[in-house]
Amino acid sequence: MKIIVCLKQVPVKDSLLKIKDDETWVHEDDLSYEINESDHYALETALRLKEEHGGEVVILTMGADRVREAIKQGLAKGAERAIHINNESFTTIDSNINAKILAAAIKTEQPDLILTGLQTDDYGSAQTGVILAEYLGLPHAGIVMEIQKQEGSIKVKRELESGWFQSVELPMPALLTIQSGINQLRYATIKGIMMAKKKEIKQPTLSDLGLSESDVAPGSSSLKFQKIYVPKKTKQTQFFEGDPKDIASQLVDKLRNEAKVF
Amino acid sequence: MTQSERESKSFCKAMFAGNIAQDVISPFPEMDAEEKENLNLILTSLRQFAKDNVDSAEIDRSGEIPKEVLEGMAEMGLFGMSIPEAYGGYGFSVTAYNRVFEEVAAIDASLAVTFGAHQSIGLKALILHGTEEQKKKFLPQLASGEKFAAFALTEPGAGSDAAGIKTTAVKNGDHYILNGNKIWITNGGFAHFFTVFAKTEMENGEQKITAFAVTRDMEGFSSGKEEEKLGIHGSSTTEINFDNIKVPAENVIGPLGKGFKVAMEVLNSGRLGLAAGCLGGVKKLLQMSAEHAKNRQQFNTPIAKFEMIQEKITAMAVDAFALESMVYMTTGLVDRGDVDYSIESAVCKVYASEAIWRAIDHGMQVAGGIGYSKEYSYERALRDARINLIFEGANEILRSFIALSGMQEHGEYLKTVGKALKNPLSELGVITDFAIHRIKSYVSSDRFDDVHDSLSSEVGKYEEYVKELHSCVEKALTKYRKDIIHQGFILERIADMTIDLFGMAAVISRLDGMLKAGNPTKVKRELTLGKLFCEEAWRRIRRNSRQVTNNADNLRREVANDVYEFNGYNLDLMG
Repeated sequence: MKIIVCLKQVPVKDSLLKIKDDETWVHEDDLSYEINESDHYALETALRLKEEHGGEVVILTMGADRVREAIKQGLAKGAERAIHINNESFTTIDSNINAKILAAAIKTEQPDLILTGLQTDDYGSAQTGVILAEYLGLPHAGIVMEIQKQEGSIKVKRELESGWFQSVELPMPALLTIQSGINQLRYATIKGIMMAKKKEIKQPTLSDLGLSESDVAPGSSSLKFQKIYVPKKTKQTQFFEGDPKDIASQLVDKLRNEAKVF
Repeated sequence: MTQSERESKSFCKAMFAGNIAQDVISPFPEMDAEEKENLNLILTSLRQFAKDNVDSAEIDRSGEIPKEVLEGMAEMGLFGMSIPEAYGGYGFSVTAYNRVFEEVAAIDASLAVTFGAHQSIGLKALILHGTEEQKKKFLPQLASGEKFAAFALTEPGAGSDAAGIKTTAVKNGDHYILNGNKIWITNGGFAHFFTVFAKTEMENGEQKITAFAVTRDMEGFSSGKEEEKLGIHGSSTTEINFDNIKVPAENVIGPLGKGFKVAMEVLNSGRLGLAAGCLGGVKKLLQMSAEHAKNRQQFNTPIAKFEMIQEKITAMAVDAFALESMVYMTTGLVDRGDVDYSIESAVCKVYASEAIWRAIDHGMQVAGGIGYSKEYSYERALRDARINLIFEGANEILRSFIALSGMQEHGEYLKTVGKALKNPLSELGVITDFAIHRIKSYVSSDRFDDVHDSLSSEVGKYEEYVKELHSCVEKALTKYRKDIIHQGFILERIADMTIDLFGMAAVISRLDGMLKAGNPTKVKRELTLGKLFCEEAWRRIRRNSRQVTNNADNLRREVANDVYEFNGYNLDLMG
């Protein structure tokens, strides 16, 4: 079974973010990066499927030179090879363009399964995976927690709202977006890290993928960032004064008529 | 380059002669790109592992590192990082190993001590001096973490005076009979492999120290109960005993009678690990303190805004920067392989162990009351940090070593002071490796040339105070001649001048490299930290140099003698 895992590198979770003057993104110079959490679980899921059923795991990622570290980490954990679409401008494009580029790279690979994380920890739009499935014309399931391989198909458990789950069967090839926390991530070993240096990292250009710069330019995006900002604090604290009886009745009044909790 | 030339190439020793061996420290050592990439992957993996699996409060409470933690680290391959690939390890550079050690120490002090006793010193003699057979026999299991190593030198009567060990190994046919006991042995309770130092009789009848490979399964080996310690509770510290152990002759590590040199080489490298570990601790305390200072409000203001808090935060950050520069300058020298780094590693150990002690002092003060509570990790950090000033060479003996080793190399003066100085430390019984070599094999001058313009003031001060060190050494040797070895007050000042001067040199070299490599605005933070360190360092050096000749040492001696005579203070204002 050939599995492609789409990995994105995102700023480390507890980073101190400084917004750029043009308010469209954050300063990236001082940031450290890590593999997006749910993508990491997608990779772990792929490695487990491969170990159980055989085949290969191919990492697919796009972004600047720095994403090489995420690729190496994936290779050190056991992926066989990687495809890195290297382009600085990819950080500010939308899910649709992301999916278009990824789809172009995947078409040459003919995988049985494509796994992505449910959503990224930076933009958090949870769109790339499902749009990618559309571009590839493949069935997909989102928020996947378990995968059982069957003859020519897979059966997956999806997470719904309020503690509900759904079981779905899909023909292969298919695309699944994976939920975080569904298994225990492995740690890259030094042995794996040393082996990673011998593994292939292909770096196709846009034209290798049949795309042009204009296909992926930020201007071609249907989505425009107007502004990012730190949410303003809007909570207000009100102190009641008077004797306890007064305070209690003021509180009840507020709860009933303003907060409308009863 | 011959062995003696290699050993005589020492940056710090040159400073004692007023020389600046710039070719040794400039450019600042840099790791090759591939190893750097691998190192970063290891650090990422280690941090994740620690976050998921290491509970330091529990390790401290239970006095034990969970088996799963050691097994997990073994599986990651961390216990064989510095072991050559031919023997089942990964052959990482000393720099990479120490950077990982720094991280382990930031995670947990007990874990770091266990890790270091195994890899920094326990098995190091095998790597440096083991025979091919010994390496093949022992190293693979130690690399995989299946078995652990320990270093056994200290005895009840031989601490800093390591040459005074009493354990004996008597030749008997094709083996030696080992008798004696060792104390304070880290990993003593569970290690399988021990590098043991014992006295052996040479052909001329002289008793000399030899290193042996001893394993726990040898008949007559036993270890005592776990010591109850102030800190590093999760690490194992025991006595070990040898009762007529038959050690095969092929287990001798290194040349017969050269065990002292083997021990010193191992400790020179081990001290660097300790220094890197302290650096990890300082960085962690700084992070905790900065977070607390920003969040804690008093007088409707975060305490971070108060300058008496900033003074502490700044001191910790400057220490971290200077120490980082010194440690990775020195590990770079070790990796380079053609220089003597014995003084530099002692300098790193002294500075590092005192920097972490200052850091916990500042950190606890910034934390206030909660710092004193067991609920938070400051008090554990305090208990864990204290040992660093004591083990792997107490700071007092290392200061003597720094000053006296430097003076030995003081070429012209050796002639006038005579033979007494050739082997000064042996009179103290100091643990040291002191081959006498004249400084000759490197380019040296009294100038630090071609340094980036932004550092001209720091370079000026550095050059001025290298001359001052040389002058202090001359004055001290002229005045005390061979009695210099008993002048602890003076030796301490000369050692402290050396420590600060090496710190300045490492900081200048690091900043110079960064400034020349790229955009100076990107180096702004480093430049500020480095300049502040240099500013504070030269003022300390000036104070110490003045006190070499102008001091209150006679009063100090008198007070100490009085206290000894009266067994304490023995004065009572109301009496």
